Amino acid sequence: MSERSVHHLLENSARLHPQRIALVHDSERVSYGRLNQEANRLASFLLQQGVTAGERVVMLLENSQSYVVSYYGILKAQAVAVPLNPELKAEGLKELLRELEPRVVIVSRKAEHALRECDPDSLGISLVLVKEPGLAWSGEHARIVVWEQALEQGEPDDPSYSGTPDRLASIIYTSGSTGKPKGVMLSHRNIVANTDSIVAYLGLTERDIQMVVLPLFYVMGKSLLNTHVAVGGTLVLNNNFAYPASVIAQMASERVTGFSGVPATYAYLLHRSPLAAFRDRLSELRYCTQAGGHMSRQIKEQLIQVLPPHTRLFVMYGATEAAARLSYVEPERLREKMESIGRPIPGVTMRVVDDQGREVAQGESGELVACGANIMLGYWRDPEATARALDRNGYHTGDLGYQDADGYLYVTGRKDDLLKVGGHRIDPQEIEDALMASGQLLEVAVLGVQDELLGKRLVALAVPLDAQTPAGTILACCLDRLPRHKLPGEIRFVQALPKYPSSKTDRPGCLALFHSLGADAGSVRPQAVQPGAADEEVHP
Amino acid sequence: MRLQEEIRQFIVDTFLFGEDGGLKDDSSFLEEGIVDSTGILQLVSFLQDRYLISIEDAELIPDNLDSIGKVSAFVRNKRGTFDFEQEAAQALVPEPA
Repeated sequence: MSERSVHHLLENSARLHPQRIALVHDSERVSYGRLNQEANRLASFLLQQGVTAGERVVMLLENSQSYVVSYYGILKAQAVAVPLNPELKAEGLKELLRELEPRVVIVSRKAEHALRECDPDSLGISLVLVKEPGLAWSGEHARIVVWEQALEQGEPDDPSYSGTPDRLASIIYTSGSTGKPKGVMLSHRNIVANTDSIVAYLGLTERDIQMVVLPLFYVMGKSLLNTHVAVGGTLVLNNNFAYPASVIAQMASERVTGFSGVPATYAYLLHRSPLAAFRDRLSELRYCTQAGGHMSRQIKEQLIQVLPPHTRLFVMYGATEAAARLSYVEPERLREKMESIGRPIPGVTMRVVDDQGREVAQGESGELVACGANIMLGYWRDPEATARALDRNGYHTGDLGYQDADGYLYVTGRKDDLLKVGGHRIDPQEIEDALMASGQLLEVAVLGVQDELLGKRLVALAVPLDAQTPAGTILACCLDRLPRHKLPGEIRFVQALPKYPSSKTDRPGCLALFHSLGADAGSVRPQAVQPGAADEEVHP
Repeated sequence: MRLQEEIRQFIVDTFLFGEDGGLKDDSSFLEEGIVDSTGILQLVSFLQDRYLISIEDAELIPDNLDSIGKVSAFVRNKRGTFDFEQEAAQALVPEPA
């Protein structure tokens, strides 16, 4: 089993049930047979063009049939699939293309402009495959081929190549709040091992139908794709999450069995969607999963209230470096372990260690370190960052936490986010949870601003549910939850927190926004947030 | 100002930082990458405050909100027979001293 490659998941499902629907996207319904044939045609075309094993093929595609065909087609050709955010601006894209040195780029209309601005010829790219080109292309070296023509030239049969499962399959870009983006190198073994674990603990079968609103180019979306393809299930791609009512309606009409989101997804659904009104129409919704960072207790409790009674909520934890998943809380124990990230998934071990790498006692705080067949090979062309993240103990998550008597793990914050305030080391997450518990906020970020006296002074940038709520009311709600020294000195209101495209809070962006607002605390000022202000995520 | 122009002005000022970049009345906000979830919330709260309408959760669908033209039609429909041209004309009449 462990010798399988990622594209074997698709080939297997296409062999077992070629007629079953793999993808639903707008009015298109694509069977496993057709999907696999198209991936074969692309692989065959890439091989005809001289693409060799280990060469990078960059994908600049939104969630679509062509994304899925490209992903598996590239892997079938023994090349390395590098999906990037199609909303990257030319400057950021060029930097990544320079370090990836891809042979081929596959691009859709949305990213065409940025790619052309990068001048693919100057980057040594020899072939650009364009889906529905909207621009006039000219170039001396890079050949421009229209997607449909490439598929017509390829052969529809499964390629017969095989290779070691430890070879590089995909590079997924991730970057935290600081430093340059890092390309996480995942092998076929990493991805297949994690896929198997997720399928097992979610109990996925060919009857599962997943609503996909998360981008496939991040690791959580990648897991949704591979796990459902592995079991022969169906993925419903809906790129209209900004209009949540259309997503909820499609979940009912397609009889979706699973939905996955990050905290911001659920905050938005609870705040502004007809989820509660559709409760009786989501009769098949077997489960929801949440990962991608800490979700406040407040949101979890609301979600349990609003979801249909038969829908199980899986709270999960992971990292791009772990091919997605590391741990989860069984839905049956969620109320009891509400703040936990759960226990390791099958095939993964996790320990809490001190700065010397020694395991700490139960209940004591340390860094979470993980081992398993899913842990990355390293960061692309960055041996120093790789050496910092991987050692004999495994993958250092950078998350601080502890383990309880039942073996459940808790994350208390990021090593990098700890704020030093008047001699105390303060974790912003605890304060954010207390502020959210006021029930008055949609989202909040607690930040440290420079202070002559304290070193750092605590402040909060918040999105109020009701613009009229005075900041003092929110702070008053925290008085019995937090000691005085953890109360933010000031709350400034905005209409939205700056986010990364992964929907994670962009803390440096929040800090800049906080400073730009001036000192009239608690007033709501309309503030446009630039989409795509930064471009990566740390955890799925 | 006419309703459609006012909505265009809001979109251009809020999401495009004043540069309309050839935005057409039927350009899809999502396809053009102009708004995300946050942007829709901003748009909805602008519409509610400016036109004194109430927008239900179930009305957050592309058909109602995904272009300047769709938003204008949606607001017009919500306001019934309210005459925006008339309102604009009245706004030009100076207040009595």
